[in-house]
Amino acid sequence: MLTSRTFLKRTRAGAVVKVVREHYLREDIPCGAAACSLCPPRPPGPGLGLQAQPNGASSSLCPGPHYLLPDTNLLLHQIDILEDPVIKNVIVLQTVLQEVRNRSAPVYKRIRDVIQNPEKHFYSFTNEHHRETYIQQEQGESSNDRNDRAIRVAVKWYSEHLKKIEDKEKIQVIFLTNDRINKEKALEEGLTAYTCEEYIKSLTANPDLVDRLACVSDEGKEIESGKIIFPEHIHLSKLQQGIKSGVYLQGTYRASRENYLEATVWVHGDAEENKEIIIQGLKHLNRAVHEDIVAVELLAKDEWVAPSSVVLQDDGQNEDEEEKENTLKTSVSKDMLRPTGKVVGIIKRNWRPFCGMLSKSEVKEARRHLFTPADRRIPRIRIETRQADTLEGQRIIVAIDGWPRNSRYPNGHFVKNLGSAGDKETETEVLLLEHDVPHQPFSQNVLSFLPKMPWSITEEDMKYREDLRHLCVCSVDPPGCTDIDDALHCREIENGNIEVGVHIADVSHFIRPGNALDEESAKRGTTVYLCEKRIDMVPELLSSNLCSLRSNVDRLAFSCIWEMTHKAEILKTRFTKSVIKSKASLTYAEAQMRIDSATMNDDITTSLRELNRLAKILKKKRIDNGALTLSSPEVRFHMDSETHDPIDLQTKELRETNSMVEEFMLLANVSVAQKIYDEFPEFALLRKHPAPPPSNYDILVKAAKSKNLEMKTDSAKALAESLDRAECPTFPYLNTLLRILATRCMMQAVYFCSGMDNDFHHYGLATPIYTHFTSPIRRYADIIVHRLLAVAIGADTTYPELTDKHKLADICKNLNYRHKMAQYAQRASVAFHTQLFFKNKGVTNEDAYILFVRKNAVVVLIPKYGLEGTVFFEEKDKPKPRLDYNSEVPSLTVEGTTLHIFDKVRVNIMLDASNIQHQKIRMVLVEPKLLGGDVPATLSTEISSKNEPEKKKKKLQK
Amino acid sequence: MAAVVLSEAEKVYIVHGIQEDLRVDGRGCEDYRSAEVETDVVSNTSGSARVKLGHTDILVGIKAEMGTPKLEKPDEGYLEFFVDCSANATPEFEGHGGEELGTEIASTLYRVFSCESNVDLKSLCINPREHCWVLYVDVLLLECGGNLFDAISIAVKAALFNTRIPKVRVLEDEEGSKEIELSDDPYDCIRLNVDNVPCIVTLSKIGYRHVVDATLQEEACCLASLLVSVTSKGALTSVRKVGKGSLDPESIFEMMETGKRVGKSLHIALQKILDEEESLGTSRQKVGFLG
Repeated sequence: MLTSRTFLKRTRAGAVVKVVREHYLREDIPCGAAACSLCPPRPPGPGLGLQAQPNGASSSLCPGPHYLLPDTNLLLHQIDILEDPVIKNVIVLQTVLQEVRNRSAPVYKRIRDVIQNPEKHFYSFTNEHHRETYIQQEQGESSNDRNDRAIRVAVKWYSEHLKKIEDKEKIQVIFLTNDRINKEKALEEGLTAYTCEEYIKSLTANPDLVDRLACVSDEGKEIESGKIIFPEHIHLSKLQQGIKSGVYLQGTYRASRENYLEATVWVHGDAEENKEIIIQGLKHLNRAVHEDIVAVELLAKDEWVAPSSVVLQDDGQNEDEEEKENTLKTSVSKDMLRPTGKVVGIIKRNWRPFCGMLSKSEVKEARRHLFTPADRRIPRIRIETRQADTLEGQRIIVAIDGWPRNSRYPNGHFVKNLGSAGDKETETEVLLLEHDVPHQPFSQNVLSFLPKMPWSITEEDMKYREDLRHLCVCSVDPPGCTDIDDALHCREIENGNIEVGVHIADVSHFIRPGNALDEESAKRGTTVYLCEKRIDMVPELLSSNLCSLRSNVDRLAFSCIWEMTHKAEILKTRFTKSVIKSKASLTYAEAQMRIDSATMNDDITTSLRELNRLAKILKKKRIDNGALTLSSPEVRFHMDSETHDPIDLQTKELRETNSMVEEFMLLANVSVAQKIYDEFPEFALLRKHPAPPPSNYDILVKAAKSKNLEMKTDSAKALAESLDRAECPTFPYLNTLLRILATRCMMQAVYFCSGMDNDFHHYGLATPIYTHFTSPIRRYADIIVHRLLAVAIGADTTYPELTDKHKLADICKNLNYRHKMAQYAQRASVAFHTQLFFKNKGVTNEDAYILFVRKNAVVVLIPKYGLEGTVFFEEKDKPKPRLDYNSEVPSLTVEGTTLHIFDKVRVNIMLDASNIQHQKIRMVLVEPKLLGGDVPATLSTEISSKNEPEKKKKKLQK
Repeated sequence: MAAVVLSEAEKVYIVHGIQEDLRVDGRGCEDYRSAEVETDVVSNTSGSARVKLGHTDILVGIKAEMGTPKLEKPDEGYLEFFVDCSANATPEFEGHGGEELGTEIASTLYRVFSCESNVDLKSLCINPREHCWVLYVDVLLLECGGNLFDAISIAVKAALFNTRIPKVRVLEDEEGSKEIELSDDPYDCIRLNVDNVPCIVTLSKIGYRHVVDATLQEEACCLASLLVSVTSKGALTSVRKVGKGSLDPESIFEMMETGKRVGKSLHIALQKILDEEESLGTSRQKVGFLG
């Protein structure tokens, strides 16, 4: 049957359009119940539909078998509960699903995943197309009311339909809604309806679920109780008008790490002035949470303040907030004042589930507790739980539900217990969550786009490919590497020249543009390597098998082949899709051994030797061009094979072969970058490394000067040369230290779209153009580059998004973000394992060099572990030592002892576990001994028993 | 216009019949053929109507769009007419063939509706000088069976009666910037008052008498006809003479009187039908184009 849906909508241009859509009603939509014989059989698909004998949790309200049918708001707010394995057999109406989709994309995605999960028995019923459950909007009925009615009609249909099934036990349908009016109406119509709370509380076997109920109460109720702390938020439509007319400014809210009463708002847009607005005081912050998009109103100029340097921690006691606020208002000179404003409304909340720990209420048997997030920028969250005792000392996840005007803290609910704090798995999970690394297993939908096993190369695949299986290709990688994405070959050809080939896994052959697999990889952006875990960007079947260029199997590759002279001058470059069969997968050490041992003279070894020779020439050329060789200590853990605890820590060793592989990868990247830029000047995805502003080098120049060395920093070449010259016979480690310092002066390399930028230079590598081509298994940028190159050589077809520079720019933005986050997560993982190491090792003394000198501390580097740490000279509850800082040299004089940059010292290392949520490595100076009252050597034992120091150190992030 | 070719004898037969107040199809001089009216036939318009008068078949669709008021009438909306002579109606309309007729009918409609009191144009104003509703009245000729003008005017009135304009509210903030908000309820809309919308009555002078609602054959016998537009109260809003023949003032006066009389009863009959249809509400079985 055909009917039509008519609705009015406003177009962007402001016109009102009447839209009419055809709407087909059917009679053959199955109800999804397994026992139902009246409906046509369900079409095959993911998810298994509803069980004939629902075996979900037993409810005291409804002891018989039953299906649940939630309404939209319930689904939106209580998705955490619905995802629990206990909740099964839920009917999700199309009406509900559509409303959820319009209101929250993340929740929509989650519910879709749940529906796909065969264990959950969720069934999505297309009630809008079912002849008996479709209704039309009536006169005087808002579309919300209409949807509520549609849901009730569907519930009624279900309960009548299920009665018709001839079965011993009748299955009930329970309508779950938190809307009072809707529930009353449903009861009037003779339906079984409960609120979520009623139902969850009736699940007597699962009391823990109650904690995870989101506490959304009726808006009206709240205003009656308690005093109102915050001004009301202005409505969104008003805000938008205000932003348009310039009364309000829209920006991203960033809370301060140090001071909970202060935040900055980064105003969107290109306006020169008022880029950064300071917000101070609880009322002005007005319930904004870190990363929210907010609207701010500027205060009058005489109310402007300067950023305060006070460190304030929200300690949870309801003491006089105003008094604290007053401490912020220190008198400062006029030119320190910054634009100051107040938050008038929230444009978009950016709440995510937060990791942290429970601060148990002091009241016995209390059910309301405060939750302290691990991220200091997030306010504490009030949650209700009955299992505070078990949750104490555990890392938990909490989601914010709302922040009423009369509440000092936002209300939230418990989502998940990650495990006890300090535990390895728990901490890994925490650091992944906190760095926003997507690490859930790949969904069924994503996996469905994988090639079917057993996989083999077909005729079709060979069409645009060259057969290079006869070549003597081999790969060189770190030990234990399973995602081999590059392989090399080298041979002499008839005309006496040398042919060198770099073969890269052809990932873009398996990941087709636009499908779920592609979207998921694009979202992940990069594979994240943690100390003992790898978070794959593409599913394992691809990363470790089909794409991995393992030895002695046929693999698809994308090859870049050069013809070179014996002096490594490139004569010809060509790109082709190919099939290769690697002859050997070697580790760096194995390859090095083959090159070095005179007795081995097989094909692989000779080509490795030749490659190595060419690489040295290439490297020399590159360095002559001004490429930088920088140093940053990389740490490697030796893990205990049983407990997986780190038993030793050492810096990574670099061999000739590392540099050999690297050299050819660089060459391939540069060749590809040039090719795709020539072909697509507007849409090439490239990577650039901007030259740092000269002031960045101040620290390096000063440091070198203190050792009577001169640093030239006007160009990369000059810098490279001065670094090479900076040798001190009595201090061999100085050169490495200088290189570490130089690394810190650099800018971040970023991906960009060639059509959106005009500075392409890569400073560090000293090449005019660069991109990433060689690691498509672990970087999404490379996949895009592969696609561009494939189109350029006519081996693949293009698609619209590939030649849309705005879409490409968006991809770059995400990739840069993911890349940065992956780095942070990696560092956090190293830091955590370092802590574990020192926890097991106990207190030790080690040699160290001073890397930076700060006003009240020195940063030291321990070469043995590649570990960096800060030695503070100020302690809480202790008399402050006399500190004298000289920024020129730079040096710091502590109680008469002067410490210079690059001084060799000895430090005492121990783990400070006093604050379980923020464990850290603590370093204390042992040599030279400091004069004065507090000798640090004895201090160490005291610290561990003392309370967490108030002064928070910034995390050791490079 | 689509014309039929008649022999002299046939013409004489028609003229003589009319002389006796008896027309070929059995009607009297002031009788209309039976008309079929159905509204709301095109769902993606704001209002529509289809009228069949004998063999004449007309479809009118009205689309309400937001526009800016005309400079000389800042607080009023306005109507735009467009007449499409489909080649379905007659092969002569193929290509640009129907354009001339279309423009002629459209300009007649403009004249008929030029009178201030016909449609309450002020109700179409959203906010003066900035926004108003423009009603695009699109007329489609599906079949020509004589007396196009009358059939079109009936269809236009029925379509205007059927028109539902979405209700919008103008939100104004302190700074004076205006935002237009659309009502959430699709049933929340403005209806037009069509009490004063005129209908055209075409009076064709045949022999010594005049007839209303001439068929194609009768039109072929007619040398001059008078178009009068009459409101339901019997007020004349415009008069126009068509055809190459001439009319003496005496007969013009007579024809105008007939026009008023016939027009009034036409309005009554039309209104009755429209109200009846309206009272059926959504339960009405639509006939559409398949009936």
